[in-house]
Amino acid sequence: MKNTIKQIFHSGKFVTGFVIFLAILLTIIIYPLVVAKDPLAMIGNGNFFKPGTYLSIQDTVNSGKTYKMNVDATASIVESKLTMDNRSMMAEWLEKYGGVDASEIDVTDAEGLIALWEEKYDPNAEQKGLIAAKKKKYQRLDNEIDGILEDVPTIIAEKNEETGELEEVQSIDSKQYINEKDVINRQNFVLGTDNFGRDVLTELISATGSSLKIGLVAGIIATVIGLFLGLLAGYLGGFVDNLILFFTNLFTVIPSFVLLILISYSVGESQRGIMMVALLIGITAWPWTTRSVRSQVISLRNRDHVNLSKLSGHSMLRIVLTDILPYVASYVVMAFILQISSGILAEAQLSMIGLGPATTKTATLGLMMQWATQYNAHLNGAWWAYFPVILVIALISFSLNLMNTGLDQVFNPQLRD
Amino acid sequence: MKKRNMKVLALLMTVTMAGTMLAGCGDSGSTSTGSSGGATASSSGTADASSDATAASSSTADASSEDTTGSDDVVGELPRNETLYFAGQQWGTVNDYNPMSANSNNAMVIAQGDASRVLVYETLYMWNPLDAKMYPLLADGDPVWNDARTEITVKIKADAKWNDGTPVTAKDVAATYHAHVDYNSSTGAEMKSYIADVVAQDDSTVVFKLTTDDSGEAVNPVLAERYLPMLYIMQENYLKTVADRNNNDAEAIKMDKMDDLVTSGPYKKYFDNDQNVVLIRDDNYWGQADSMWGKLPVPKYISHPIFKDNAAATTAFQNGDIDVAQIFITDLQKLWLEQDLPISTYVDEAPYQLCMTMPTLFFNTEVEGLDQVAVRKAIAMAVDYDQVISSAMSGQSPTFADVPRSVMNPTDAEQAMVDQDALKEYQWSNADVEGAKKLLDDAGIVDTDGDGIREYNGKNLSYKAECPTGWSDWNATLEIVAAAGKNIGINIETYFPEAANFSTDYSTGNFEITMQSGPGTSVANPYMRCRFFMSSDYNDLEVNFSGNFGHYQNDRVDEILAAIPHETDDAKLKDYYTELSKIMLEDCPCVPLMYRPQVFHEVNESVWTNYPQKDDGTNVPPMDCTDGYGVAALYNLELIDG
Repeated sequence: MKNTIKQIFHSGKFVTGFVIFLAILLTIIIYPLVVAKDPLAMIGNGNFFKPGTYLSIQDTVNSGKTYKMNVDATASIVESKLTMDNRSMMAEWLEKYGGVDASEIDVTDAEGLIALWEEKYDPNAEQKGLIAAKKKKYQRLDNEIDGILEDVPTIIAEKNEETGELEEVQSIDSKQYINEKDVINRQNFVLGTDNFGRDVLTELISATGSSLKIGLVAGIIATVIGLFLGLLAGYLGGFVDNLILFFTNLFTVIPSFVLLILISYSVGESQRGIMMVALLIGITAWPWTTRSVRSQVISLRNRDHVNLSKLSGHSMLRIVLTDILPYVASYVVMAFILQISSGILAEAQLSMIGLGPATTKTATLGLMMQWATQYNAHLNGAWWAYFPVILVIALISFSLNLMNTGLDQVFNPQLRD
Repeated sequence: MKKRNMKVLALLMTVTMAGTMLAGCGDSGSTSTGSSGGATASSSGTADASSDATAASSSTADASSEDTTGSDDVVGELPRNETLYFAGQQWGTVNDYNPMSANSNNAMVIAQGDASRVLVYETLYMWNPLDAKMYPLLADGDPVWNDARTEITVKIKADAKWNDGTPVTAKDVAATYHAHVDYNSSTGAEMKSYIADVVAQDDSTVVFKLTTDDSGEAVNPVLAERYLPMLYIMQENYLKTVADRNNNDAEAIKMDKMDDLVTSGPYKKYFDNDQNVVLIRDDNYWGQADSMWGKLPVPKYISHPIFKDNAAATTAFQNGDIDVAQIFITDLQKLWLEQDLPISTYVDEAPYQLCMTMPTLFFNTEVEGLDQVAVRKAIAMAVDYDQVISSAMSGQSPTFADVPRSVMNPTDAEQAMVDQDALKEYQWSNADVEGAKKLLDDAGIVDTDGDGIREYNGKNLSYKAECPTGWSDWNATLEIVAAAGKNIGINIETYFPEAANFSTDYSTGNFEITMQSGPGTSVANPYMRCRFFMSSDYNDLEVNFSGNFGHYQNDRVDEILAAIPHETDDAKLKDYYTELSKIMLEDCPCVPLMYRPQVFHEVNESVWTNYPQKDDGTNVPPMDCTDGYGVAALYNLELIDG
């Protein structure tokens, strides 16, 4: 036994797969201990906030601690707002509708351009041939660069409740800075938010946990059923074998996913918790385990050591457990790993068509994909809502398959080096 | 041996995958260029053109004038700069062109509603939600009521003509009414309760005689008036042709395809198949007379490609293959703010659209537990409406802090008809979970067996909230409602069946919680909407698509609803509507979840420009350039490079 495990861990493929899988597992266990967030809490009021740290504006203004720095903030703002595209856009407007001669416009001179712009631009001017989308774009640009060059302090005022007038509380100039650690209220979305405004990272980790759970339970169920029926059919043979094989063939012929869809639909959403979905996947995925275990057992049952046991009067249970099971064990472990992998994929497929667990009760990888698709994250540029999910699914099945090939190399004499 | 098998398998799979990818590319390629679609389209197009010849001589003329590019490809390649492309109206293939049919599935031609689509068939008036007025189309001048409010007299424009050249007369209007009523179409079945008869006094004067009750008063003047901007006028002669060829069998007439339709609108049927619906301008359209528009609409063709789903339509819209879209787009503003596309809506700031309707949550008041006001109200209080609006609706709705809930939509015209100050004390704050819990606790509805779900009469409060699958914004909304239930100890599960099953469920009262969108803006609103929310008139119907799906019953509501149509004093009406709003907020038979545009209206100015914009002085509403007075937009369009 010890030797076998040693051998297994010498296989590079197995170790790589194992490390990836372990890393995923550890993340699932450790992350909730560090970050105590409800994975289903709808935090963001909107769809698909991009990844980043969000600071409370009120806290930032009211934090009290400010640091003066000798950095010219206006320059970089001008730089970011007045991109070359924007400058040439402004030049185009001035030339076409502002009556300015092209030679007077110098796009490299930001100050001159803005001065000219502020003097000439009029949103209500007749801009013939300009489409509405462009007109609105010019108006937005005008709002953005309004007063961009002047170093006027921003005034923070509060409303006096009695008089209803605004009273100045503080004024902020361009040299004041704040350390982000001083801001109490902040939200850190490493992977942004999804369409419900939920933190994708937290949700993803919780979903990976649920999906692994589903995969594991489904894998165990499928393997146990498969193993049991396979052993029975293979060892007993005769009528029992025919009967079991008949049902196995029946289930092999009906695509198991179709069966899964039908059962899931009839079960109803309130019953479809994680365990139920796992159970459904498990009881539709056993046939091929049965078939291969059965064929292995058939080849085993007439071996000498089995016959010897029979002659010694050992019970059937003992023969199966001690003389047959150990010989198919390695195969069963490998099959089990693949069952986990396909269980996770089956859940993802089910949830994608809305037959998975309830959205408000758990997070699963499939559900995350489903909502990302429904809200067109892929057309929206919101990669964070679907790409990490795909990556996790890929990593899980990759690591499990890698482990499986590693085991295969160790156990399969034909492949052994 | 095994390894060899693997290799063969690998090779096979690679070939299959490559094949699939190629097929995929080919597919998307053809949808964007429309070349393969064109090939099949052209054959059916020519076939249609020839069958049209029997009906109207002008259509053959049109077809031949198009032949300059090559006779085989009449339809295959519509000239881009003469075609206005639509998306989001038509899904699936067209069934028929018959306004009396129950299932035309022909959105571009037949959309009879509060603001009917008037591209092909025309109505007497066009509704404009911006100023809440009716504008005459086939009619000449405003409708005239008699003093007893039992008759409406409408004059027909002298210039109005059918596309076969004959004038539109009062007799056609009367024939249309009688066809609907005699053949008992769904429109007719409802219409006859309010309009007893339509009589042509002379060729240009038609009188609508309203159904009266025993006291001689009209049953419901408001609902009768509603048909003026709604009813598609059909030609008397043509109706006779259809009746004859179906041997006067009402069922057969309602099923008639009416492929050879005679209409009065600016566009005519050109062709339709499973990929496209195309209309062509009638260059002899009567509306170019000075008494109407004074010119023809600008685009020569109206084309509506049929997409598989919203995502496909959105992609085409972003690419500029679609000009006008009626699609819900997530984070719409990103299209112009981040992707810098020439796309805009009617308003540049959130909510970007003109919101005129309210998707509403209905509780079945005959279900145990939901018959309790406390349970309904607790659910209503616990829902995070801000989340519904900002995420499910992607911010395309004003919040309830901006426009507090009442029976009114958020337009200024309707908000002026309700006293929001008087309703303040009945409003609840957003996602008031604590308040909802207290309400349930006080009502004695608590969790006694410790499973986290409250019980009523010993049974767990557990309900199914349903809406059709694939309606993503509604699906997400119900998920947020379900989350609210979880917060207050009521188990709400979501259920998203196919749209047809959903319709059956809500119309027959076979649901627990459902969602429906009420009447938007029309000459009959907010009255119609109040009926939709709470009228018990619908409670005895076996099949009810009209409103109050939860069978709520309140005598005071019925009393007010009976009084409103006869009331002409604005102050009194305001009192009535305020009281109705109060009852809705107190009893919660239904709860508006958000505001929503009646139609989404997004335009891509890659080819056409000068679409209606807020404050542009044209008074044309953002109704996709097709609905009610929104059709006026078609006359103002310009090419961007012309």
